[in-house]
Amino acid sequence: MKWVTWEHVGVDRMACAWLITKYLDPQAEFLFVPAGHKPLPEGAEAFDIPGVRLSHHRGHCTFYTMLREYDLADPILHRIAQIVDEADVMQEVALEPAAPGLDLICRGIRLISPEDLIALERGHLIYDALYAQLQSEIPL
Amino acid sequence: MLLVYKVPREPTAGRAYVWRKLKRLGAILLHDAVWVLPATPWTREQLQWLAVEISELGGEALLWESRLVLDGQEEALVQQFQDRVDAAYQNILKELDQEHTDLVALSRKYQQVKTQDYFQSELGSLVRTRLLSARGGHNA
Repeated sequence: MKWVTWEHVGVDRMACAWLITKYLDPQAEFLFVPAGHKPLPEGAEAFDIPGVRLSHHRGHCTFYTMLREYDLADPILHRIAQIVDEADVMQEVALEPAAPGLDLICRGIRLISPEDLIALERGHLIYDALYAQLQSEIPL
Repeated sequence: MLLVYKVPREPTAGRAYVWRKLKRLGAILLHDAVWVLPATPWTREQLQWLAVEISELGGEALLWESRLVLDGQEEALVQQFQDRVDAAYQNILKELDQEHTDLVALSRKYQQVKTQDYFQSELGSLVRTRLLSARGGHNA
């Protein structure tokens, strides 16, 4: 299946792409369009674009929306959603010290990647690592 | 970046929520009419998602990226942003001069001011140096 988002991916989109390939669609194909570009390519599921189904809702990031839309209940994924929420958009309540660091690392990954697709692929390692580390900790 | 928005009077929680978010971003409300923030990729993203939240609260938001036409006005506006963070940094410095200071709380305060310090105030680096030298143990 095809998935489309805006260019210049960051912390939220890297998390979403990781989730898509790992849990929803191992054969996922990612397309990128310039910010604000319309119309979106047909037959592709849009994510993290303002106004689409898989986007920010009620102050939560797109990753969080995806967990809800696809009924993913794994508590570790929900912990990651909290971190991505705080990393992606300034939140009133901040509980995850890892959040600003994760944002910085993901921005850096985009900077050193020649294109968005490669940045998404490199992001997998970060989220695999985050998942493994959270799993090894005593659950909250 | 300029933001003009309207959210329904009720529930008041929604209005307060948007207002607090703009405050935390360090936005300035000009003449009770327009919210202003320096244009950076980060502020653009934050405001883009805030606009989505406003419309989900049943409101309306208009977001511009603009430039000032008249000479000298930009400098005056930048000065307003700087004055505000400088005042916040001054407060931290004042507290650092007191005898029993809560370094944990002050460093958290510094981090908060830092996110609003769009023009890299020199006072900011002074606060940073002072905080580092104020910690006990090896540095004392």
